[in-house]
Amino acid sequence: MTLLLQALINGLMTGALIAVPAIGFSAIFAVLRYPNFAIASYATIGAFAAWWANAVAGLPIIPALAIAFAVTGVVGVVAEETSLKRLRDNGALIVAIASIALNLVLENIVRFIFGNDMKGYDLPLARDLRFGELRIGPQQLQSLALSVVIMAAMFLFLRYTRFGKAMRAVADNPDLARLKGIDPARIAIVTVFLGAGLSGVGGVLIGLDTSIDPLTGYRVLLSVFAAAVLGGLGSIPGAVVGALALGIAEELALIAVPATYRTAVGFVAILIMLTFRPRGILGERAA
Amino acid sequence: MAQGDLAKDGLLAVDGVVAGYGAAEQILKGCSLRVGAGEIVSIIGPNGAGKSTLLKTIAGLVSAREGAIVLNGADVTGEGALGRARHGIGFVPQERNVFGAMTVAENLEISGFQEPGKMRERSEELYARYPMLAGKRRALARTLSGGQRQILAMAMGLMNAPALLLLDEPTAGLSPKAAEELFEAIVALNKGGLPILMVEQHALEALEISTRGYVLVSGRNSREGSGPALAADPEIRRLFLGG
Repeated sequence: MTLLLQALINGLMTGALIAVPAIGFSAIFAVLRYPNFAIASYATIGAFAAWWANAVAGLPIIPALAIAFAVTGVVGVVAEETSLKRLRDNGALIVAIASIALNLVLENIVRFIFGNDMKGYDLPLARDLRFGELRIGPQQLQSLALSVVIMAAMFLFLRYTRFGKAMRAVADNPDLARLKGIDPARIAIVTVFLGAGLSGVGGVLIGLDTSIDPLTGYRVLLSVFAAAVLGGLGSIPGAVVGALALGIAEELALIAVPATYRTAVGFVAILIMLTFRPRGILGERAA
Repeated sequence: MAQGDLAKDGLLAVDGVVAGYGAAEQILKGCSLRVGAGEIVSIIGPNGAGKSTLLKTIAGLVSAREGAIVLNGADVTGEGALGRARHGIGFVPQERNVFGAMTVAENLEISGFQEPGKMRERSEELYARYPMLAGKRRALARTLSGGQRQILAMAMGLMNAPALLLLDEPTAGLSPKAAEELFEAIVALNKGGLPILMVEQHALEALEISTRGYVLVSGRNSREGSGPALAADPEIRRLFLGG
């Protein structure tokens, strides 16, 4: 029973971390209608930007997160405007493939600048909190709280701000949005900034839990993609639900199978969802 | 109204427009029409005549390959849908004309995106004009009935205070009672001074409330005249009105 509860807690923690970049991935998909796999490199760039701000410049982790968000958002917009945007007319598949190539380019730029070594944030060491037999790391709790705040901020932005509503309108029906005087190109830039920025923040949160290296984003790409597919591609609440479900499934699977098979859970989740419910848990149309 | 007066006073002038969807496909083969200030103008014709394509071309969703579209004296032929909306063209499409995953209130708010300062005032005006919408503010648009959705779509078309409202088959799929109510709403809007250009499947009812009408056949102008005169024309009745 303790094992099960611990797996559930760990799953929620992992899921909450994956949810942040998954929201970014889903937001970009919802508005631009293509899966942007370069979010893996955005997560890595965010992780390194925050590492520089925290470990090199000596800033606390919250301002470092804000810097990671801004840097990655700008990188995402520049990458989109200079490379991916020109391919959009050729269809989603071409842009998706190009985003994989872009991911490799950006990942290697990070490798060139920061090297291959693992790096850690400058965080105070703290003992795990104990609740009976259950153990929770204080850093995990802080990351969970940050994830929840970021998710809440994103929901408030989408629900109550003019640009948030315009993003939802463009995601729903770009032609109708254009008829209402909303410029989908402008909304696309805002969306890519937010999506890439959230991916960067996700990279930091994942790095806070362990350490970072140029493959930090790549390692979670499958989980992020699986979370978005599980929840319903393009659905932002779906990305959160998908990430939590995947996090719990991965941790529960570890009770029965060796840790090396953990990644397989994402693949299996995608296969099951695409077979039985292609639109995902909260998706409104088949992806 | 004579053609010359319309050219001088007309709000919208469409001249010899050629347009279609694919590279080779030509739906409109040289259509022309005028809409004057304060008019209701209907476009009727058989299925596949290009009526909806003509409205989409005026709204900027389909590009005109030849011809000209002039609104309030400004040539908007080269503008896309966004530019036309900013010039004052409000277009209510036949299908997918509301944001289904957003509430009624959000649909209205987002339709007033161009002038956020006037959004609240215009929403309240529209709630007063269409009390049904006020009662459904928090309902998702996709949960509305067909008639309610058309009223919402029309109200969304009014949020940017358009100079001209284009309606594509506004009564399609509605019950006779809902269609009648919608025609009443269209007449009431026009009486407030808003010019309306519409394509309508209920051709007789549309012509009866129209100042003028155009008959489109195979992407070309076939006939034009006053709405009541076209509605009473035996040949038109035989061909398009089932009478």
